[in-house]
Amino acid sequence: MSGTPSLVSEQELPSRASHFVRALWGFDVRVRALPPAVNEFAPRRPRFVASNLWLPATPLVGVPGSFSDYLFAACAHISAHLRFGAPRFSIKSLKPAQVAIISLLEDARVEHLATAHYPGLKSLWAPYYQARADGAKTSLSLLARLARALHDAAYEDDDSWVNKGRQLFWQARAEWHDPSSCRRIGSALGNDLGQMRVQFNAKAYAVEPAYRDDNIGLWLFEAEQTEDGTQLESEGVRRIESDARAPLQRERGEPELNPAPAGSPREDAERASRLRLTTRAESQPAVRYAEWDYVIQRERAAFCSVFERPVAPGDPARLASTLSRYAPAQKRLERAALRLADRRPLRVRHLLDGDRLDLPAAVAAVVAHASGVPPEPRVYRRVRFRVEPPALLLLLDLSESLNAVPPSAGTPLLELAKSASALLATSLAGVAGDLAIHGFSSNGRHEVGYYRFKDFDEPYDEPARARLAGMRANLSTRLGTALRHSGQALSARHAQRKLLLVVTDGEPSDIDVHDPKYLLFDAKEATISNRRLGVTSFCLGLDANAEVSVRRIFGAGNYSLLDRLESLPERLARLYPRLSA
Amino acid sequence: MSAAPLDAYRIREEPYYLALADEIALFEAAYAARLPVMLKGPTGCGKTRFVQHMAWRLRRPLITVACNEEMSASDFLGRYLLEDGATRWQDGPLTIAARLGAICYLDEVVEARQDTLVVIHPLTDDRRLLSLPARSEAFQAHPDFHLVVSHNPGYQSALKDLKPSTKQRFAALEFDYPLRVQEVEILTHETAVARELAERLVSVAEAARRLKGHGLDEGISTRMLVHGASLIRQGIGVQAACEMALVRPLTDDPELISTLIASVRACL
Repeated sequence: MSGTPSLVSEQELPSRASHFVRALWGFDVRVRALPPAVNEFAPRRPRFVASNLWLPATPLVGVPGSFSDYLFAACAHISAHLRFGAPRFSIKSLKPAQVAIISLLEDARVEHLATAHYPGLKSLWAPYYQARADGAKTSLSLLARLARALHDAAYEDDDSWVNKGRQLFWQARAEWHDPSSCRRIGSALGNDLGQMRVQFNAKAYAVEPAYRDDNIGLWLFEAEQTEDGTQLESEGVRRIESDARAPLQRERGEPELNPAPAGSPREDAERASRLRLTTRAESQPAVRYAEWDYVIQRERAAFCSVFERPVAPGDPARLASTLSRYAPAQKRLERAALRLADRRPLRVRHLLDGDRLDLPAAVAAVVAHASGVPPEPRVYRRVRFRVEPPALLLLLDLSESLNAVPPSAGTPLLELAKSASALLATSLAGVAGDLAIHGFSSNGRHEVGYYRFKDFDEPYDEPARARLAGMRANLSTRLGTALRHSGQALSARHAQRKLLLVVTDGEPSDIDVHDPKYLLFDAKEATISNRRLGVTSFCLGLDANAEVSVRRIFGAGNYSLLDRLESLPERLARLYPRLSA
Repeated sequence: MSAAPLDAYRIREEPYYLALADEIALFEAAYAARLPVMLKGPTGCGKTRFVQHMAWRLRRPLITVACNEEMSASDFLGRYLLEDGATRWQDGPLTIAARLGAICYLDEVVEARQDTLVVIHPLTDDRRLLSLPARSEAFQAHPDFHLVVSHNPGYQSALKDLKPSTKQRFAALEFDYPLRVQEVEILTHETAVARELAERLVSVAEAARRLKGHGLDEGISTRMLVHGASLIRQGIGVQAACEMALVRPLTDDPELISTLIASVRACL
């Protein structure tokens, strides 16, 4: 609807694009953000390798119209390749110009086939054809004009090469189901271009129109003569990463010429360490968050990296045996959960005043009145709606301090945290609302580890129990970043109330921060920005001496301090009904 | 009581219904055996229209009750009212149907409180008995009485399901969206849109139905398509009609809305 270019956040991008492909064709794709180039020579294009899509997260330079429309156009194009494309072409002895032309014809071929199913796609793509039949006849402009000629039957061009291409393409109409027709026509057109002495510069070539992919996904490379998806995917990732690091040496249209470019020497030490961390966190790419710097009173954008890490499973049997110790607390929690789960409105009858007449009582009153008996005045009723249980995220601070053994408890705090989480999960999962149990520990701002022991919508089953049992504590507490990450997870839930329950000692600290107030104020900002997302935070403080900092972060009334640490599970059980009611 | 009150519930014109499979024969068999019938299926796929059609076909009056959370047993059975200083008993819809021999259709039956629904139990087994505790009365249902309920298991939570003791009294027919050709047929019949346009609208619905479970709870229903086609017949542009009738009622999620609008554009 809106015509203005808009930004699409990296979180929105995948769901939007993959939903669109699913709606059109019924298959799923994986979508990731195309890393931004540091400086551009040839314009960037979307890319796909097998069913992995890389789409720009910000509008590309020189692309008209709304960014959202652009993304849909790109998705429609790539999905047409996936739906109607054949096994990937092998390059053999083709020249770069031929590769580019064959790709262009293949683009047109799959688009025509897709348009037969969805005629509206044509108008979705139309705005991006900007080539005009005038100006210099460079290879770039001729290819763009050919693309337009194949797309738009009404387009007129005076160039004989463009017209020949158009004619050959339409003559082969009966063979469109067969991609080898593109190869035949494209090779011929490529030779013509060579005879016309038109130079083709593969380095400066970018596919036109801009919604089309960069053709990498169409070709089979010498190095990986395989259709195996995983290998293709890793190849795609490698190429993408090499793009991000060395934009000067990107391969365009002639992918066979430049195998993996070497890392550029400009990489500073910080980036090197980030890349190392990326490979170490084999699970998920980093999510970056801003951090509040109270000294400059501003946010440092994309300052901290959160890595979602898998949890090594532990022994759920041991956890279950310790849980039996908390039977009364469990009972209380289960009762509270069931009460909350009951969503039926409460009908209160026989009231002195209310929204509606309680009909049987009213009839009885009138009958009593008629028979001379004093009537009962309580003839009204009222419907009371119960509150919905909140979506609850229990966030555990899994820093080194959790390994401490409080003298009164005899077991490490970590064990108490495990029991408390297990208690909550056992009693609430599947009954009342959404529950997630996450944890975090940090090792400097580039490495905030985030663990999902039980996630929303996940059953509390054997693997989840094993993950809880495998909980470990080490490293430091970069609380603000973890709060932001949890806040994002919670804000995506569909619930009237979203509650973030944080269990921490209340003293954020990290190895790369020496000012004790810095992380404290950042955590406070994170809590405030979470509130803007509709997420309420509450803190269960493990250190009774940290009241000042806990109050500063979460605000007065939004925390509770544990005086007896060994009572953590019971306290949590008592807290839940209070916070949810 | 005369049969006059039932006249209002008689269906005189044939309601249009396109049989998707053998459901008409199955329903007739269940009616002949006086087995209560449960119609299952997504919203807007034609369950209610089917009941209307069957009532017309069997020449029985149809009493429809849209069930809701607030209903009490007396909303089904009846209650005492005051009239000129005296009380008068008024039969509820279920009682009228059972006394006089109509088809009683409880639409979205899970929406009623499950303990309330227990009142239908004696009526739905071989006793066919209806008891009115408030009147201290019990009577045998009319031989023509038939009970039909509809139920959409899709979006109900675990806490909102029929009791097994209620479910097991019914024979059930499962409905789904019509096949493409059938749906085109229905659209052209209901709204007299051009066949080509009907095909396009069905493509939009098919695209949205692929997103069920991927962000959407329910796909675009046949009813919504009829709404969209009716808007187009009113002279609204196709794109605008699709957005208004097919996309915006379906979801509030801005991401999904923009995806669906793009799908609409792709289909037209």
